[in-house]
Amino acid sequence: MSGPLIELDSVSRTYTTPAGTIKAVDDVSLSLGESETICIVGESGCGKTTTGRMLAGLLRPSSGRLLFEGADVWEKKGKDLARFRRAVQLVHQDPYASLNPTRTIAQTLAPPLAKHKKAHGRAARAAMISLLERVGLTPPADFLLKYPHQLSGGQRQRVSIARALTVDPRVIVADEAVSMVDVSIRISLLDLLHNLATEFHVTTVLITHDLAVARYFGRKGRVAVMYLGRVVELADTESLVSDPAHPYSTALIAAIPEADPTITRTKKRVPLKGAEVPSLLNLPPGCVFHPRCPLSEPGLCDVVVPILGNLPGGRSVACHVALRERQPAAELLGVR
Amino acid sequence: MPVLSVRDLSIDYRTRRGPVHAVRDVTFDLEQGETLAVIGESGSGKTTLAVGLIRLSPRSARVTKGEIRYDDGKRAFDVLSLDPERLRRFRWADCAMVFQAALSAFNPVITIWEQFLDTGRAHGMGDKHKVHDRTRELLDLVHLDPTRVLRAYPHELSGGMRQRVLIAMALLLDPRIIILDEPTTALDILTQRAIIDLLRELRGKLGFATIFISHDLSIAAELADRMLTMYAGRIVERATVDDLFYRPRHPYSVGLMRAVPRVSGALGSVASIPGSPPDLIRLPRGCSYYPRCPFHVDECLQQDPPLLKVDTPEHEAACIRWEAVAAALGSDAEAPVAEKLA
Repeated sequence: MSGPLIELDSVSRTYTTPAGTIKAVDDVSLSLGESETICIVGESGCGKTTTGRMLAGLLRPSSGRLLFEGADVWEKKGKDLARFRRAVQLVHQDPYASLNPTRTIAQTLAPPLAKHKKAHGRAARAAMISLLERVGLTPPADFLLKYPHQLSGGQRQRVSIARALTVDPRVIVADEAVSMVDVSIRISLLDLLHNLATEFHVTTVLITHDLAVARYFGRKGRVAVMYLGRVVELADTESLVSDPAHPYSTALIAAIPEADPTITRTKKRVPLKGAEVPSLLNLPPGCVFHPRCPLSEPGLCDVVVPILGNLPGGRSVACHVALRERQPAAELLGVR
Repeated sequence: MPVLSVRDLSIDYRTRRGPVHAVRDVTFDLEQGETLAVIGESGSGKTTLAVGLIRLSPRSARVTKGEIRYDDGKRAFDVLSLDPERLRRFRWADCAMVFQAALSAFNPVITIWEQFLDTGRAHGMGDKHKVHDRTRELLDLVHLDPTRVLRAYPHELSGGMRQRVLIAMALLLDPRIIILDEPTTALDILTQRAIIDLLRELRGKLGFATIFISHDLSIAAELADRMLTMYAGRIVERATVDDLFYRPRHPYSVGLMRAVPRVSGALGSVASIPGSPPDLIRLPRGCSYYPRCPFHVDECLQQDPPLLKVDTPEHEAACIRWEAVAAALGSDAEAPVAEKLA
């Protein structure tokens, strides 16, 4: 495959609030190839959802470009734009709110099939049955006449995925798609999304606050860690979790409670300088992480904004110290 | 001497379709100062059990049988036979509950100080200055700045600060038991870590016993001494935290352990539990986990198995196939389930 399929080219998004202007996303670039999986992780307010919405073309960047197959999406019109709309689909977080409660599953799936001229009448029924099979709702005929309230959270989320698939998308953006379903069935939903990437060459973007979920889902892909509107680290998933390069990623991984008593009770902590996340209304100068960072150097980190640079091993990190030392923060902090 | 002994507790919800057997024959002891974690999927009955312990259940719920015995060494009684006034006092003074740190856990139109004062007054702390001193002491204990927080309204605090305030408020009357319902859900990772560390610190200083209900196994791994697994309203396994994580004997516990990926260590063979929990109105014959269980045999259909002693005297599992489960997991004692099954 030549060139990326979809690309954010240094996009920023600002919001005007009564209290002032906030920059929810600041100069983010991401480039995704066909059938790639990528996870965007970060805490609330880091800009991961805003980034996902810009990637899906639902939110116009305040600056920067969204490119699909090399062309600027926000310059597209008419048929060209409709083609992009079909190609990129979103799966929402809350399967209780994202399905129309007054429509059966068939009534939810048929309109997009008809609208985008995929299938009508009897062919539509066959198409719906095959979609439901693809998302693991069996026997599919049983589900067609059901209403959302008759389904469990996990089943609803499968219907949401089936709905996204009605238009044969090439990119799926799933925003916290498993955080509201029961722990016991999260893995099967992640597997379903993962199969779309491997078997049907769909590029999948999973936005999550849960690094364990990101690790499992993105095990063959990459992870972007965001903090206060910026991507602070971008790396393949295994090197990120086993040897994080940015001090923030390092602190995050060290702080995560894990479902293993020995591991979780003996984890080495990273002592952060402050507990509070700065307000987006009043961001610190220089590196936004410097007030909490144990590696912060006066005169450098509090003055100069670090840009994403490359470390050996194909990872990028936005940290002056890690880049200068050519070493991941995890080593500099003695966590590894 | 357990501070709380629950015996054969059963709670039904009345519905139009018939009674929902949400909690069935639950028996356990909570020892002084220990932390007990109750895990299970949504609908397993863990929240019904937690609110049932302090009789805060909704009106449609009915305790059909059982006993909840409280004994702090000075006073002993059955919570189920308390009259409304004594129940009201029991609820915060002996056994407090910390809910998720949502805004709805507070009265939105009064300050934090007034919330503390209300709570104190409702429990006979007539001296305003005494409540004030105690409140400041508690806010210090949960690492908040009392001067700033007392004047604030709930919406002015961050999620992490609200959770700290709720914990401080639960401690106002120095209860012997604290029930925590999903104490760190909806909090960010670094905040979650701070709350976990805080709970551990307070438990060490104040010595209260804790029951916490969470779908998040990692919180249990952090804090629990012992654990209960609930399925379809019953306790299906009771074990120490290490036994449950590394040597589970009920196939449902195995399934839960295997369903949660980790960030450190090997990924192992992570997998979801197939199927969904049974209808609690029409429970299936025999073991209620049978339809989802990879270890099932025909004999499992004959009766809902009682808790059986496995491995050690402190470890029980309601599964006649527990030896087959043990064999499948092998003898590598300290490895997590997902790795053993890889």
